[in-house]
Amino acid sequence: MSKTEYLYQGANWNEHEDAFTQAFYEQNLSQFWRPEEISLHGDLNVWHMLDETTRLAYARNLLVLTYLDTYQGDIGMPVLSRSLDDKFHQRKAVLNFMAAMENAVHAKSYSNIFMTYMNVEDINKLFAWGDEHECLQQIMDEIVSVYRDLDRLNYLRLYENVDKATFEIAQFKTCVASVFLETCLFYSGFYYPLYFYGQGKLMQAGEIINLIIRDESVHGVYVGTIAREMYDSFDKTQQQQLKQWTDNLMMRLYNLKIQLVHDIYDSVGLTEDVLRFVRYNANKAYLNLGFEELFENEEINPVVLNGLNTATKTQDFFSMKGNGYQKMVSTEIKDEDFFFGE
Amino acid sequence: MSEKYKIPQWIVENSQIVDEEGKIKDLSKDAQACETYLKEAVYSNYLKFPTHQARIKYLIDNDYYEKEIFEMYSHDQIDEIYDYAYANKFQFKSYMGAFKFYNDYALKNKMKDKFLELYEDRLVIIALYHAQGDFVRAMEILDALLKQVFIPATPTFLNTGKKHRGEFVSCFLLEMGDSLNDISRVLEFSMQLSKLGGGVSIHLSNLRAKGEDIKNIKHVAKGVVAVAKLLDNGFRYADQMGQRQGAGAVYLNVFHSDIEDFLSSKKINADDDIRLKTLSLGVVIPDKMIELARENKKMALFYPHTIRREYGENFGDLAINIDKYYDEWVANPNVGKRYVDPRKLLDLIATVQGESGYPYIMFSDNVNKNNPLKDSIKFSNLCTEILQPSMLSSYADYGKQEEDIIGQDISCNLASGQIENMMENKMIKESVYAAMDIMNSVSDKTNIAHVPAVAKANRLMHSVGFGMMGLHAYLAKNYIAYGSDESIELVDVFFNIVNYYSLYHSMEKAKATKTTFAGFEESKYSDGSYFDDRKAIYPRTEKIKQLFEGIYIPTDEDWQTLKKYVMEYGLYNSNRLAIAPNGSTSYLMATSAGVTPIKQLVEERTYGNSKTYFPMPHLETASFMYEDAYEIDNNRVIDVISTIQKHVDQGISFELCITSSLTTRDLVRYYLYAHHKGIKTLYYTRTRKLKVDECIACAV
Repeated sequence: MSKTEYLYQGANWNEHEDAFTQAFYEQNLSQFWRPEEISLHGDLNVWHMLDETTRLAYARNLLVLTYLDTYQGDIGMPVLSRSLDDKFHQRKAVLNFMAAMENAVHAKSYSNIFMTYMNVEDINKLFAWGDEHECLQQIMDEIVSVYRDLDRLNYLRLYENVDKATFEIAQFKTCVASVFLETCLFYSGFYYPLYFYGQGKLMQAGEIINLIIRDESVHGVYVGTIAREMYDSFDKTQQQQLKQWTDNLMMRLYNLKIQLVHDIYDSVGLTEDVLRFVRYNANKAYLNLGFEELFENEEINPVVLNGLNTATKTQDFFSMKGNGYQKMVSTEIKDEDFFFGE
Repeated sequence: MSEKYKIPQWIVENSQIVDEEGKIKDLSKDAQACETYLKEAVYSNYLKFPTHQARIKYLIDNDYYEKEIFEMYSHDQIDEIYDYAYANKFQFKSYMGAFKFYNDYALKNKMKDKFLELYEDRLVIIALYHAQGDFVRAMEILDALLKQVFIPATPTFLNTGKKHRGEFVSCFLLEMGDSLNDISRVLEFSMQLSKLGGGVSIHLSNLRAKGEDIKNIKHVAKGVVAVAKLLDNGFRYADQMGQRQGAGAVYLNVFHSDIEDFLSSKKINADDDIRLKTLSLGVVIPDKMIELARENKKMALFYPHTIRREYGENFGDLAINIDKYYDEWVANPNVGKRYVDPRKLLDLIATVQGESGYPYIMFSDNVNKNNPLKDSIKFSNLCTEILQPSMLSSYADYGKQEEDIIGQDISCNLASGQIENMMENKMIKESVYAAMDIMNSVSDKTNIAHVPAVAKANRLMHSVGFGMMGLHAYLAKNYIAYGSDESIELVDVFFNIVNYYSLYHSMEKAKATKTTFAGFEESKYSDGSYFDDRKAIYPRTEKIKQLFEGIYIPTDEDWQTLKKYVMEYGLYNSNRLAIAPNGSTSYLMATSAGVTPIKQLVEERTYGNSKTYFPMPHLETASFMYEDAYEIDNNRVIDVISTIQKHVDQGISFELCITSSLTTRDLVRYYLYAHHKGIKTLYYTRTRKLKVDECIACAV
């Protein structure tokens, strides 16, 4: 037998690759859920009472979320996973799991909401709106072109030598774009469902958004943790350049976001409130990356803010599924479990 | 700008109680939200009248109130009772209470934009209606209601006095037989009851298992889960006109061959064809299973149809006494069976509970060993506090109704005391009496004619359930830790007194009406053996003695006298006490729910129709005394509940609250300890997910 060019190794989960990945693995898998777990038809009577403008704004927000989750699942997470060295089997597994959740579960959930609330013709119109919306397309392009750049290098390095620094910079930039998407871009879209949820309206869709937020917040922290590790490995000059690049990307995204938020929220009069919320989450994204906050602290609408708290909510049996349940870990029952001292 | 969807000021204020982490930020915002809400949403929309009489005339003329109520009293009496109520100056202590009342309970006009009742008005109508013309009694009931020493359960509180009203009882338990007629009829009953706003629990143990014969054709029966799926869809279809989802539960004996399918229907990764979306599950666990698991022996699961063919009786009726039949069934080759590892089955129960909160668990031998009545208790209800005997019905073909054999199903008729107010007003007896009066009135006035087995049982048994709320709030206020020896001492004394007065009331009612519940003569009340270990329980420590100062504690002699009277005159009610989880009503009463530990210092409540924050009472002075249900050792909770259980003839609704770090074995150990301590039922298991920053905190 001839020796192969590469050495192939299995993932050994009995050893920790780093100090945090297995904790994120546990967290991610235990909060697994399926879109069908939430029965949406309870929202219908409220939905039909809303006026046309409100419904449109609501649906367009979910559509923006759909685009973000779709590409994050299709390319954002996979490209980062592919770019990691072979030895990081566990990190790859966690990123792949996140990718699967984003497209197969999150994007699918938005579609379930559309399907429950709207007819097919309106759904098609809605997606057409997204395809034609320049500003949304530009936001996607800003992010995905960063991913594509790394994608190109991923392939290139299979066949030729790629400069290590160039590759690592592309990797870091992907992490930044990814954290921006997870921790900041999503939130203008989350705002409206949370706004209704906080007032007791469209509660089932609100539950879905709650479960998605629970996932996205973990994703942002995880990728941010990897980004920090990379950032620390750069020298001072590189760090300064990358920080500058990060700020520029954020400002471009923020300016696009202003337009998008105007387009969606002007008709319902919430634009300023939403932009405050976007800035608040941009700050969170910066913190995840280990940077100082970018914008000044402002008072956020408390009803929306409280929606971000994904700790277990209290329910009664007439209510909803809630975000409290998770996969159980099984361990064997022993003889002594059946006896009690007394 | 669409002003319609602007967030009202009181919701903003209520949301400011906590910060984004769910931690307390500003408690004073709660009172502020309450005030804003009452001023802006309620008082300005309350329809005012020059006199009480003018208001009542309007409400009767426009079909809001029942005319007959006011014909039982004089004008002067009516003026007097309303004046008395208003002079009391009732105040809501929390926004949640005010909001719940005015949003869900208060009478509104048909356009739903004017309030026709304030809180006081609702209490007066309840007192007048259920005192049935006895003015002195009406004033006593009103006084107890104003002092908030007790409150009737939601359907009674909500519907009393209204001309167009729902039923006073809203929780039902139905037995299902093993024919297509039986299945269809019970499905129909369930949907009809669900339409009225009822929660329905159905006992499925009699159904033949998956793969059994139908009319001697082998392997064609679809089993229990297929029927459960029908019910699951039925309850979602027959909701209350979109206002609230229907709610149902199904119970299965753990020795039924379909038990694993039944449990798996709630697993997160369950196939859509067998997934039960909103239906709640309960499993009936006899001691035999625990015994087999302890001895690590294999456990036989049985095929009900083969048992019916062999012995001519229904599996559910026999399996409740499985101890008696197990060895014989195992030995009998005509009885279909298969074997499983009982420890694995316990593990499956724990897995499904951790993932979905279900199943509820009923330890059937703990229930029936302490059941004073002749007939067995086979299953429980949606909140696991109702434990009453039932008898299977059998339904004939269409057009042959006279061939129906009507058994006994169950309806629950409830009220709850508020322990802090009962103790501080020194009104234990008065609270029990007023509540029992109202529940008896409800029983008299209720006739669920379209579900004959429910109507029949109510007529014969007059079963009621007086419960309790606010235990944790009361303990915290007095700086007693939940689960401490003092807390156990307190509940032992308190619930012994409650039991005494509920028996006394039921005996007096039997004496006055010369009516006892059906089967009294064959009960342990009748031969006096129920009283064998009933006697005075006095506080021992100084602290608890102080709390009971000025409260009469029935002596050993009193108990002996009571025993004599009960044996002589009987009891009116087959069942008297049951502790419900009471969500909404505990907000009105400004206290913690039930007798369990609080879930959160500030509860965030996600109801189907609203989202609101409710800070627990006494946070200003005693917040450090609250250890929430996720922090507290579940074994200590079990110790408290099992002490209360000694004095409660039915069940106590209580949940295990766990954090996500627990494994199935940990959970099973709680079941086993609960079983060991005589706990009758376990309600949900709730899991608190550790949030990501908590996770990082321990890993990095």
